[in-house]
Amino acid sequence: MVVLAGAVAGCLGALLGIGGGVFLVPFLQFVVGVPLNVASGVSLMTVIATSSIVSAGSAGRRLVNLRLGMLLQVAASGGGLLGAIFVVKMPDRALFMMFSFVTAVIAILMLSRLDKRNVILDSSIDPGPFGGRFYEDESGREVVYRTRRIPTAMSVSAVAGFVSGSLGIGGGILQVPALNTWCGVPLRAAAATSAVMIGVTAVASAPLYYARGNVSAPMAAAAVLGVLAGSRAGFWFGERARAKWLKLLMAAVLAFVSITYLMKAL
Amino acid sequence: MKNDQAGISTLESILARLMLAGVTLSAISLAAGLALWLAGRHTTRLLDVGLIALLATPMLRVAVSFLEAIRMRDWFFVGATLTVVLLLCASLVLSFRAAGL
Repeated sequence: MVVLAGAVAGCLGALLGIGGGVFLVPFLQFVVGVPLNVASGVSLMTVIATSSIVSAGSAGRRLVNLRLGMLLQVAASGGGLLGAIFVVKMPDRALFMMFSFVTAVIAILMLSRLDKRNVILDSSIDPGPFGGRFYEDESGREVVYRTRRIPTAMSVSAVAGFVSGSLGIGGGILQVPALNTWCGVPLRAAAATSAVMIGVTAVASAPLYYARGNVSAPMAAAAVLGVLAGSRAGFWFGERARAKWLKLLMAAVLAFVSITYLMKAL
Repeated sequence: MKNDQAGISTLESILARLMLAGVTLSAISLAAGLALWLAGRHTTRLLDVGLIALLATPMLRVAVSFLEAIRMRDWFFVGATLTVVLLLCASLVLSFRAAGL
């Protein structure tokens, strides 16, 4: 059952570049019935697995923006470490409330910008130090984008890292929509870059969970193997899905997560 | 800064191979460990090997990026990767302390 849950979570996670933890944590907590910190610890291991397999698979497509990723990584792993340190001191209820609020806001933002495109079709334009270019299937040519509002991207990454380290989900769920909506990074590039980053972010907090005995080894193994199988499927679908549908799907996912955590907090 | 576009691409393919190797090693030991566990041999040694390999993979990724940044003399990249390396070291130190080692 944990393998299957991991597979579903991995598929959705790879598809959306968010890591599957957002589904796995509530599942492990409510269906399997483990404490939250164990659910988070196991989930963090699957986040690392998803991230590693997606970064291995996405190389050469130029979707991953390594330069931007490395810069944001500083904020994200700092946040992740702080999250793992403070999680033992924070009341669950406050965390769930905050998380529910943030995901709801982002879901609304995504829906309000369904038809916006962030790419510049003239490929001779200089993308700047943190922009990038990649071949987009939908327009059938190489597209260019610039990254705007780097400080915003840094702040969101720090918050995402903190949430990742304290709730055990991949911080990508916050990063991808923010990079897409506020910083002008195309959804595919944002998802691919984030997928690479969340693994390192999770590694800033996962050793602490492991050391505290919150990573149940057999459960983590089952979940990781499920996620590895599922993320292959997710990556395959991701290549073939349209950006608009990806956004709609992601908004639906966020709404679901928001309601789940609100109900947990009340 | 413009000339390292090719360097970044090479780095990306090196990192991709590293990630694949780490995940494969981890998946094999996790699968074997889980099979043993389900067969009734309740030892977590193989499982722990798999999980530690999983944790080590992104850490190696950052370390390789850092060394490669030095080689490319891309000081922005050096600064960013070095900060992440230090953060991960801090995490490990705290973990060893939490585990009582």
